[in-house]
Amino acid sequence: MLTVALKELRDALRDTRSLVGSVFYCLMGPAFVWIVARAVKGDSAHTVIAGMISVFTLVAAFSGGMNVAMDVVAGERERRSLVPLLSNRVSRLDIVIGKWLAVVVFSTGGLLLCFLAFRFVYTPAGDSLMLVLLTGMLPLALLAAAVEVGLSTLCSSVKEAHTYLSMLVFVPMAVGMFGIFFPASAALGSLLPVAGQQAQLQRWLGGQPVPLFPSLLVGILTTALAALLIHGTAVWLDRDNAVYGR
Amino acid sequence: MIAIENLHKRYGTSVAIDGVSFEAPDGEITGLLGANGAGKTTTLRIIAGVLAPGAGTIRITGGPGTLGALLDHTGLYDRLSTRENIEYFGRLRGLSSLDERVGDVIGQLGLTAIADRRVGGLSVGERMKTALARALVHRPRNLLLDEPTNGLDIPTVRSLRDLLRRLRDSGHAIILSSHVLDDVQSLCDRLVVIARGAVVAQGTSDQLCRRTRCGSLEDAYLQLIGEHEVPVC
Repeated sequence: MLTVALKELRDALRDTRSLVGSVFYCLMGPAFVWIVARAVKGDSAHTVIAGMISVFTLVAAFSGGMNVAMDVVAGERERRSLVPLLSNRVSRLDIVIGKWLAVVVFSTGGLLLCFLAFRFVYTPAGDSLMLVLLTGMLPLALLAAAVEVGLSTLCSSVKEAHTYLSMLVFVPMAVGMFGIFFPASAALGSLLPVAGQQAQLQRWLGGQPVPLFPSLLVGILTTALAALLIHGTAVWLDRDNAVYGR
Repeated sequence: MIAIENLHKRYGTSVAIDGVSFEAPDGEITGLLGANGAGKTTTLRIIAGVLAPGAGTIRITGGPGTLGALLDHTGLYDRLSTRENIEYFGRLRGLSSLDERVGDVIGQLGLTAIADRRVGGLSVGERMKTALARALVHRPRNLLLDEPTNGLDIPTVRSLRDLLRRLRDSGHAIILSSHVLDDVQSLCDRLVVIARGAVVAQGTSDQLCRRTRCGSLEDAYLQLIGEHEVPVC
């Protein structure tokens, strides 16, 4: 699986267009917040900015690895390299994990880039950065990569994968927005993947304590969901449809 | 040797292969002939382990690890160099002395000049040779080739044919699927004709011509697969 991951990393790092696109998407949020921070003043400014940061951070986890994800499986099928790859008798699970690991590197990189850029724009009031990163953001990157590799495996071309993965980015955005505008429902969903990470971010940015147990629980749930998706993707890749398309 | 016995495969309700049986002995090139959709590619993919058979058995001398395959076009990674493409498959095969193996196959196929160039900038012939090198890097005893001369120019076809003859003479069992009867006649020691998912005839080119009482392999092939001449309007 490491052989597959290293090949995908090497391949993706040479795709300048894709890299620039990913960096642009990850920096779009901090740039937008920087502009808004200069326009919004008064008591509501902090709430508005913290809400925007949490949403853009969730989106960065998904957009960081999006371009790589669409190339690693749908791209394999499009360039007709999937059949030669499968003929090496490497287990489907190893192939999927290898590709997922490569996407995780970019998802995590996107998140970290977004975090760093936000530090230039806004100083969070909370002091639980490591807890947020380890129990919230890292599992979120694992899940985002798993969802993206799974979707890419279902698609027969990069164009098709691009369509669905671009739509996927709206899911964390919608969850984040829902959490901001309906805080009561956000409290209920705080143990669910994505919504839980958003609740964590909101508390951290607002200077409220980030509770350890719920954070660990949402981290474990998110990681478990990612593992389940990887397994499902490997099972799907073992089907005839994966070779022949739908 | 590769021996196929009573291979079956269905996709949903459609039957792709319906009881294919044949042998590809060591030191011979076995040609798979058939119209589009006859079941050649599915047969090769099942032998290569890409698809699971519905029923039937496949015996490969030395086990599946001794199989090299060039299936479904070249399927190379454009942003990697020729050497990196070959190394990747060598690593997937778990080769120990990888540098030596890759160097050997690059020399054997005359790829030294383009070894460190990215594959995206190579010609069709160079890409085909790279794909073949990738299939040969683990020194397989048995080789599957699906239409390897598609899109190649005449000098490249000739050098590929020479290479396949050398591999055959060194004892490899080769199964080659092709639509190009010229390739099949000049390379293959025996032919297996597949139509509608089943083997309709097998033997040497002469044996097929004698059996069908045709003067050419083309006529014999068309008769065997049941295709009648279509008038050109």
